[in-house]
Amino acid sequence: MRVEYINPFVESAFNVLKEVLQGEVKRGELYLKSTSIPVMGVAAIVGLAGDVEGRVLFDMDKPTALRVASVMNGEELKTMDELVKATITELANMITAQAVTKLHELGFKFDLTPPAIFTGENMEVSDQDVEALIVPMETAQGKLEINVAIRERG
Amino acid sequence: MTSQTSPMDAMILERPEERKERADKVDFKMVTFSLGGKEYGIDIMNVKEIARANRFTYVPNSAPFVRGVYNLRGDIISIIDLRIMFHLPVEKREEDALESLLILRVEDHVFGVIVDSIDKVVGVSRTSIQPPHPIFGDINVKYIQGIVENAGKLYIILDIAKIFSPKAEKEEHPSRYEPPSGASIPTEISAARTGTARPAAADAEMTAGFVKEGLFSFRHFAVTSVNETWFRARYKEWERLRAGTDLQLHEEADADAFLEGFLSPYSGTLWGADYMDAVASFLPDSDLRSFNVWNPGCGKGYETWSLACTLRRKYPQSRVKIWANDSDLLAISMAPNMVFDASAVPEPYRAFLVKGMNGWTFDQAVRDSIFFEFHDVLNSNSLPPVDLIVCRDMISFLAPEEQKRVLADFQDKLKGTGLLILGTHETAATGAWRPVGSGAVSAFAKA
Repeated sequence: MRVEYINPFVESAFNVLKEVLQGEVKRGELYLKSTSIPVMGVAAIVGLAGDVEGRVLFDMDKPTALRVASVMNGEELKTMDELVKATITELANMITAQAVTKLHELGFKFDLTPPAIFTGENMEVSDQDVEALIVPMETAQGKLEINVAIRERG
Repeated sequence: MTSQTSPMDAMILERPEERKERADKVDFKMVTFSLGGKEYGIDIMNVKEIARANRFTYVPNSAPFVRGVYNLRGDIISIIDLRIMFHLPVEKREEDALESLLILRVEDHVFGVIVDSIDKVVGVSRTSIQPPHPIFGDINVKYIQGIVENAGKLYIILDIAKIFSPKAEKEEHPSRYEPPSGASIPTEISAARTGTARPAAADAEMTAGFVKEGLFSFRHFAVTSVNETWFRARYKEWERLRAGTDLQLHEEADADAFLEGFLSPYSGTLWGADYMDAVASFLPDSDLRSFNVWNPGCGKGYETWSLACTLRRKYPQSRVKIWANDSDLLAISMAPNMVFDASAVPEPYRAFLVKGMNGWTFDQAVRDSIFFEFHDVLNSNSLPPVDLIVCRDMISFLAPEEQKRVLADFQDKLKGTGLLILGTHETAATGAWRPVGSGAVSAFAKA
């Protein structure tokens, strides 16, 4: 993945999470992963198109998703209902959109697809021929992983 | 022949006077069209029909020139953009604009090709077709059947069978390099830990084995056939240097001392003019339209910038693209925005420098030719076929089985005429490669 793409994603994830969760956010060590990647339980996905193709996946476990959604909505949420899913989807959208705005300022043109959310047990995601950059984020609500796989269009 | 009109002829008829003039000797008809402002023709016998269409269904993971598939009255055919295939400029079109399509048939295959615009059907005499000339046009001469003049226009007749037959790929890349100079290379990667594997071996061999182990555990340097020759020579030297003392490596500093001199010239700095010229001398001379380079293990990026400038000097007209990867995030993060002290930069680079806010940087054209990527060479990648791979002193620092895998990947990604450049003391040690370099440039072509 192009070096120029990395920082916008890391920065916007950091900024957005800090803002919506109103707390400390710690960034873990970035690393690369190929082939299939296990998903923790709740995964919001935003597709990218334009000069590049790829997707950004926001991955967390269920309790974390519930806690994050609770903070964002200002009320205690206990079940994985529509509101929780919509909230997590919106979070994914906010982070990706901010990253894409930053990239646009740098001269890279990306388009977004509407986000989608997946929930379930024992899921994994595979991308053929693309390695993914993993950005782990530690928050008071739990651990989130942002998984970015982008490649240039040939 | 001229009295018959196929549906297509009816659509784009020649002017009657033209037809009359040649009526007696027309025995070759072609459909003419333009690509990147030049006129081309395809034998009408290969053309099934002409169509205008858009909104092709995109096919993931296909070659860039495949625009997708199209439903032609129930048959799914692939759509190939000839302009992209031949690296010609593509006019920007409106989103919904219809593309001009030639539906071709080669043997049993039917497919569509996109061209700029379709002109008409031209009939000529076979005898007036002249052989192609290498300097003619933007398309590789292998794909050109001939050149013909008609009504004051010059048409390049494409050899559709050659372009689209499956065998074409192999014929397209004949070897441009001289045969190997007879140097034989060991084919097997020897186990890195010979010392432990053969306890009964002679003492010297044992110690060498321990040194190998030390190199791997302290610096992840694996002695294999990639660097065995260097290791043997260095080990002899090492025995002399450490005569009477302990030969074995006990800490990282020892490993570093042993590896002194292994790195290629100008590691971690811009290449000097001598090395630039040396590398350039091994590159093919023809002026290619596009030149793709893969530079894995580029580290801080000095090597990539050097390479970009070397190629800009060698191929001023070509579109050079360099994919530079490294798995060290810190090192590669700095690479795209490198700032230089103009007085410390060797002379050949000065022409490409511009003064930025913080100091001297390379100009936009050089910057645009490089993609710096955070990428692990052991993971899969989506690179297109490349003309050149520069991977100096990286393979030696992978585990033996990883070395094999990366070399196989290089073999896969390199075009038939491509060139692989390894570190000065490294060699691509399988039968799949043959050495073509000399001196400080360790270069290999596909065998």
